Amino acid sequence: MIPGILRKVALGAVVTAALASTAHASECIAPANPGGGWDFTCRTIGKIMHDIGAVDDPIQVTNMAGAGGGVAYAHVVNERGSDEDLIIAASSATATRLAQNAYGGATYDQVRFLGAIGADPGVIVVGKDSPFQSLTELMDAVKSDPQSVSFAGGSAVGGFDHLKVLMALRRSGFEDIRAVKYIGLDGGADAITQTIGGFTQAMTGDISEVIGFLKAGDIRVLASFTDERIPGFEDIPTAKEQGVDVVAVNWRGLYVPKDISEDAYRRWSDALAQVGDSPEWAAAMEANGLAPFNRVGDDFQSYVSDVILEVEALSREIGVIQ
Amino acid sequence: METLALLAQGFAVALTPKILMLAVAGCIIGTVVGALPGLGPTNGVAILIPLSFSFGLNATEALILMTSVYYGAMYGGRISSILLNIPGDEPALMTTLDGYPMAKAGRASDALVLSGVASFVGALLATIGLIILAPVLARIAFLFGPAEYFALYLLAFATLGGMASNNQAKAAIAACLGLGIAMIGLDNSTGLPRFTYGNLHLMDGIDFLVAIVGLFAVTEVFVFIESHGRDSAIGVKLEKLRIPVRDIMRSAMTMLRSSVVGFIAGVLPGAGASLGSFLAYVTEKGIVRDNSQFGSGDPRGVAAPEAGNNAAAGGALVPMLTLGVPGSGTTAVLLALLVTLNITPGPLLFQERPEVVWGLIAALLIANFVLLILNVPMVKLFVLLLSVPPRVLLPGVTMIAFVGIFSLSGSSFDLVLMIAFGVLGFFLRKLDVPTVPIILGILLGGEMEDSLRRAMVISSGDWRFLFSSGISTGLWIAAVVGFIAPMFVRNLLKKPQAITD
Amino acid sequence: MKSDRIFGLIIVVVALAYIASATQIQTSFLADPVGPKTFPFLVGLVLAVCGLVVALRPDEEQVRVRSIGKLALAMVVLLGYAYTLRPLGFLIPTAVASGIVSYQISPRVTPALLTGVGLSVGLFLLFKFVLGLGLFALPRALLS
Repeated sequence: MIPGILRKVALGAVVTAALASTAHASECIAPANPGGGWDFTCRTIGKIMHDIGAVDDPIQVTNMAGAGGGVAYAHVVNERGSDEDLIIAASSATATRLAQNAYGGATYDQVRFLGAIGADPGVIVVGKDSPFQSLTELMDAVKSDPQSVSFAGGSAVGGFDHLKVLMALRRSGFEDIRAVKYIGLDGGADAITQTIGGFTQAMTGDISEVIGFLKAGDIRVLASFTDERIPGFEDIPTAKEQGVDVVAVNWRGLYVPKDISEDAYRRWSDALAQVGDSPEWAAAMEANGLAPFNRVGDDFQSYVSDVILEVEALSREIGVIQ
Repeated sequence: METLALLAQGFAVALTPKILMLAVAGCIIGTVVGALPGLGPTNGVAILIPLSFSFGLNATEALILMTSVYYGAMYGGRISSILLNIPGDEPALMTTLDGYPMAKAGRASDALVLSGVASFVGALLATIGLIILAPVLARIAFLFGPAEYFALYLLAFATLGGMASNNQAKAAIAACLGLGIAMIGLDNSTGLPRFTYGNLHLMDGIDFLVAIVGLFAVTEVFVFIESHGRDSAIGVKLEKLRIPVRDIMRSAMTMLRSSVVGFIAGVLPGAGASLGSFLAYVTEKGIVRDNSQFGSGDPRGVAAPEAGNNAAAGGALVPMLTLGVPGSGTTAVLLALLVTLNITPGPLLFQERPEVVWGLIAALLIANFVLLILNVPMVKLFVLLLSVPPRVLLPGVTMIAFVGIFSLSGSSFDLVLMIAFGVLGFFLRKLDVPTVPIILGILLGGEMEDSLRRAMVISSGDWRFLFSSGISTGLWIAAVVGFIAPMFVRNLLKKPQAITD
Repeated sequence: MKSDRIFGLIIVVVALAYIASATQIQTSFLADPVGPKTFPFLVGLVLAVCGLVVALRPDEEQVRVRSIGKLALAMVVLLGYAYTLRPLGFLIPTAVASGIVSYQISPRVTPALLTGVGLSVGLFLLFKFVLGLGLFALPRALLS
């Protein structure tokens, strides 16, 4: 028997709780703890989407950390496969891990990639006192003696920072990529510290990670892995200009569950495209060191599958997948 | 002098009613979050970030709120360590060793006041260190390569044997269990999974928060139920609050030394507050002449880790602000906040955004005094939180722990794991195996292995590289001495072992 | 037999299993002189040695576990909580689990009920509105 007072308390709680959650909001899952890139994607894109009226209700952000996004991926595939009110933050890391089968057997065609509207361009960096003046010189040094150059990066071995270097070496005609020395640290700033300290000869990362050190004159950026020179950093040559045909950017985008209606998919991609064109997003990109990178809808889906194929081939070769 | 002018300018930014209010609010929230097991400073800061946006705070205000929460959590963690033997967050782990025995001996309020003062000293010295030395210290990070880091972690584990335990082998078993658990997940140096058995949830490894909450909070529930409260930590009575002047005087040097040790540990990226409090504790135990009471309620054993972890918290701000390298989990979240606020931490932050840096430093000083007031004269308020009867407190702590962990990953897997740790902790406690080394193993094991392997990659397998710099050689010597010395000292003194429960 | 002997032997078995499991770790083709197995082997080895030491030189004290039934119940309750928190929302599982745990600690019905309901509601308000965690109050099925 429950005393009367208790019943009132319980009832009150139920009412309060129900009121708190009646608003029927769309959800954006950030597959990581608060504070990271995916969290930024959800919060910023979600907020702008609502602010510019591309969606009616505010978008609620849920953090679902685990397995580098694998827990959220499995959740979406298995439990929310046709949820039309759901978007999930993604980046190059999502594609890399899918390619390397790091999501426990899940494949990239189990969801639909919606689009990316910004990207953090990849760069190769050396300390200010380094003898290497250009990407070509660095690549040549590796070619003549792979033991003489260690690379530091902010991702684990087999991660995107590592693969960028391997792609660049491969395109410069170096085949023995297994001999390349790479150490993975916790984040780009850590990697750059090791490079400035002289423990490694070069650092591979994203432009946003090196801006502070670049302005302070501690480092030199040898090349950016972009089609065009990065806006605001026009004196950094691209890898392409130096004869190394690699475009590797850390894009920020979204995917949606696979079985949503064509209508819902179009609704979301329109909303995303609107965000991409908004001045608010332009400001957010500038604040976060992102460069424009607009691929939405089917265009993006095919881009992602190309990247995945290349990453898979490379990873197989260096043995991070078997 | 220029520094003073800048600091004055900082106070001009910080001493507005709104900012003061934010600092006080941040300190209170931080202390509460720190005191609640399962919710550490990282969660506290992470949870509050969105809140600061919805209040429409500007960069300086948001940063000040967050750092107040950060410092507050560092203070708060000790409260449940001392009263419940459950560390409120991971840097408060070492405080359980002497803080709880002190509380059990009827000196809970002494321990709280003493640790509050120690926290204040540590944080204050660290903030001063940050003011004077930040630009210089930032360069230290450039001196630490993989070989030096490996030697540093080695030092930590070598001195583990000197820690509170009656049985060296059991302490070593606990450390190995922690190290073994740390190996689970994706291997950083090959990108391949280890010990995951195809389980997706294990890919990221086991979160040390899950282990901490399981081994301490859940274990406590089991112990309480089994013994009907007799062996449990819960239910420490708090006597009248007074200032334990003698203890404070006696541990004055301890606080100073521990602050220095903690600050240095904090400055090194990746080492963080936990290592700071740990090194402070073992250093102090090694240095003081009569250390027989360490582990059974020595006031200096309370002062050392608290001064150490608060100094480390301040120290960790050095690499974060000057290099953009987070020195701990919490500073990683603070870093993300800075970036979203359009502030790029790095070598130029001090020149480009002096108002942010000096406003922050002024706010830290203010927060520190607010926290001293909150945590010494008013500590009873927070203690009230924890002094409700066990039948409410224990389920409450457990549910908070569950939700804290649940909010991290949203999966029941971590919760089940946490219960498993609780069961493990129960048996280990019955068998008199210390659980603190397990946590240290989980916290530091992965980094230690990674450093070694990075060093070997760089040197192409040449082991001599490990001793190639003055710093690494010095750390190796310290580690060897730290490992061997306790054995000799023990044999020489033949002192009776302290009896603990 | 002393409980430490059993504990030491269990540790040795665990260590051996750990080493056996470590031999299965995949290696990549990359430059990595130490490799992913060395550290786990070392840890397993030290663990086994320490386990042996404890088994051969046990502490005197004999460990006894009382009220096993109550402990098992507590564990089941917590496990149940872990699995229902997500599908059933926060309020109901929290009230039930904390009520039972509270009753186990102090076996009186009314205070236990009060504790369960009070904690469930109080903590929900704390988490949802003070700390802003994204919790669901009730079963999701009821809300949509």
